[in-house]
Amino acid sequence: VRLPTSTLALVFARSFFLQAAWNRRGMQNLGFAYAIDPALAELYADPEKLAEARRRHLGFFNCQPYLAAAILGGAIHHEEKIARGEEPATAVVQYKSTLQGPLAAIGDGFFWTALRPFFGAAGAVAALTFGLWGVAFVLVVYNVVHLSMRAWFLKVGYDKGDGVVAVIARRNLPVHADRLRAVGAGLSGLSGAVWMTHDVFAEGVEPQMVGFAVAVLGYLGLSRGGRVLPLSYAVVVLGTLGAFLATRIRAGF
Amino acid sequence: LEYLVLGLIAGAAAVERKGFLQAMLSRPIALAPIIGLALGDGQGGLFLAPALELYWLGAVSLGAAVPVHEALGTAVITGGAVLAGKALGTGVDGAVAVLAVLLGAPIATLGRRADGLVERWNERLAVQVEARMLAGQGAAALRLNLWGLAVPFAIGLCLAPVGAAVAAEGIPGILRRAPSSRPYLDAGWIAYAAFSCAAGAKAMRAKIAPVWFFGTLALGAIVVALVAGHIIVGAR
Repeated sequence: VRLPTSTLALVFARSFFLQAAWNRRGMQNLGFAYAIDPALAELYADPEKLAEARRRHLGFFNCQPYLAAAILGGAIHHEEKIARGEEPATAVVQYKSTLQGPLAAIGDGFFWTALRPFFGAAGAVAALTFGLWGVAFVLVVYNVVHLSMRAWFLKVGYDKGDGVVAVIARRNLPVHADRLRAVGAGLSGLSGAVWMTHDVFAEGVEPQMVGFAVAVLGYLGLSRGGRVLPLSYAVVVLGTLGAFLATRIRAGF
Repeated sequence: LEYLVLGLIAGAAAVERKGFLQAMLSRPIALAPIIGLALGDGQGGLFLAPALELYWLGAVSLGAAVPVHEALGTAVITGGAVLAGKALGTGVDGAVAVLAVLLGAPIATLGRRADGLVERWNERLAVQVEARMLAGQGAAALRLNLWGLAVPFAIGLCLAPVGAAVAAEGIPGILRRAPSSRPYLDAGWIAYAAFSCAAGAKAMRAKIAPVWFFGTLALGAIVVALVAGHIIVGAR
């Protein structure tokens, strides 16, 4: 039994709601059961077997939402085998519980702490240099990348089942993540550079030099365990007061 | 009507942020210009977007950790700044932006607490789904999953207009009473923007991040130094 593409497309669309009812008890369990349901309805004509299949996907599940598509595809792969009587019903539960941790670690490391921040920093540079069109371009590229990867994860999971781990491992996502993080940090610095050089002819160099000093000291403060919100308040107050005092000193009080 | 539009966008962003899609549309870099455009000042939203994006670049949901609600913070800051800028007739400039940040940024922390309510609401949904499954209502029970989007939407819908109203009323009041504070507040905005860049680089969690961050920043400093030299030579 191979599911029609339309059913897989529906599962893919429903996978966007994986975290709709995220809760501390089962985490993404409701979202996973909701997403896989069209496939289960296709595979099990017997209402009893369908109800049993639905119940086994209500167990605890948590993964990075993009990479969860791979487990979703793999779970359908296993459900097909269960429907054909080639596997016990516990196989799919074991498959999910074995893969969710490692794939969550890979997904968090690549998508949440590398790819998305990289595009966020790229968006900042694009906004400062090209305006709204720059932002729109960055968002389109991010979504082409992330949506095509999510679709590919679902397909590979469905086609390969347990083999999905080897296929994803060959992509070297942690190595790419390290590069994206490094370049992302560079883009953050570039944003600062673009900002500080932006109105330098109009506003003079003093505020810009203060800006550079704040960026350096801010990074050092955060590196030493400073928290973002209190530090940002301190920086704004010091920047405002500093400008006031500088003006007063220049005017000789 | 402006507050209703803001509330609807903030509610949709709160949903997109975790419950549906997660396509960066609720990130400050997208949300601030969207809100700016919806309230009639796209450039005002764009003025805030890069700083807010870098400021909250580290706000990511890893495992069961709940980050600050950057979408709610962005909605309040952008909405408040744009509406204050319109009331003053100046649009969003450094002074308006920095006051909006000071007034609006803590609401992102409040939003994190509100996410706790969402989780409790969703736990009740999970219990309901299990009960309905046992009662034989399979597909209908699973569709309850979508009700999990209701509370985040309601939080954005209610909190964003209230926060923005405080900023939109407070900022013009401050700037009208102390108009001479504008240039100093502009300097405060420059300091905030520079700090945001540092926060963005730090959020990258890479060992080599300082090299890249300070390297690119140094390039900018060299350009400023060259411009300074140009100005000095020109003055002579």
